[in-house]
Amino acid sequence: MLKGIITLLIFQFFGECISKLFELLVPGPVIGMVLLLIFLIIKKSSFESLDNAVAIHLRYLPLLFIPAAMGIVTQADILAKEFWAISISLVFGTIIALAFCAKFMDYLTNKQENKK
Amino acid sequence: MNFDALIEYITNTPLIWLLITLGSFKIGIIMYEKSNKNTLLQPIIIAYFLIMTALLSTGVSYEKYFKSVEIIHFFLGPATVALALPLYNNLKYIKSLFIPIVITLLVAGVFSITLAVSLLWVLGAELPTILSMTTKSITAPIAIITSEQIGAIPSLAVGFVIITGIIGALLGTTIFRLLNIKHDTSKGFALGVISHGIGTARAIEISEKAAAFSALAMGLSGIVTAIFLPLIIQILQ
Repeated sequence: MLKGIITLLIFQFFGECISKLFELLVPGPVIGMVLLLIFLIIKKSSFESLDNAVAIHLRYLPLLFIPAAMGIVTQADILAKEFWAISISLVFGTIIALAFCAKFMDYLTNKQENKK
Repeated sequence: MNFDALIEYITNTPLIWLLITLGSFKIGIIMYEKSNKNTLLQPIIIAYFLIMTALLSTGVSYEKYFKSVEIIHFFLGPATVALALPLYNNLKYIKSLFIPIVITLLVAGVFSITLAVSLLWVLGAELPTILSMTTKSITAPIAIITSEQIGAIPSLAVGFVIITGIIGALLGTTIFRLLNIKHDTSKGFALGVISHGIGTARAIEISEKAAAFSALAMGLSGIVTAIFLPLIIQILQ
């Protein structure tokens, strides 16, 4: 699995370097992700060690955002003041966007199938 | 015996907060599995409340907590890179519906962000909250690093991401039935674009095809959002 972990870290490192060098606004790890994707497309397959390293990172993914998430304790005043704005935006925003996205995709898919 | 030295150690070692964090998450996983994977009982929600209780009852500052568990935070980087693999594994599906996928990704992505931001703006929310809402539909690791980039508040951003995921996962199938959505590919894609990983977990229950399209959508929308959102925000400012 070490080879897989090294692969992930190397791609993150390159991503961060590219982001800094070209003063990009895209976060380095996302560039690393795109680079790894391109690497896999060229190589046409993954390897076991990478599969394992990826599996362990993604299995516990929610654990990794706890340190950032707990910062919510410092945001109590915003949450109290803007509770309704946030709740309405989250609930209605998500329901309408989900409905729109599914219907739109369904419409385009039907259109493509009818052409054939 | 030196009790003072012991207390001094316990209050200062990062180990104690690492243990509380890992332990709370483990309890979260156990409760989630015991509840037959009830969407509302996401392991992170349970862990959230347990750690919150520990923080508030000990009065330890968030800065000190974060320093203790920073090593966990570090792994967001490699985990983001790791998202390339599931995306690669599902990339073969992109060919079958290339045009619907690309158009929906862009149109629905822009629509979703604009809608949530306009609602907040109309209801009088302030700029940091509005910025933190822009990453609500992408997977949390990318949302955290992108929100740091655009001057949003990462902790609010993660909270919005998780709640958006849960709402989508809870109401998705009902919405699809009411709207007569025909293709499983559309259902999966919508869940992935709007409700990222939590939506993808729900898509797995619809069908294998829905799951594949959801994972595809989640990966693509994460990349597209992380690339264009900081640019657009910079231009607007």
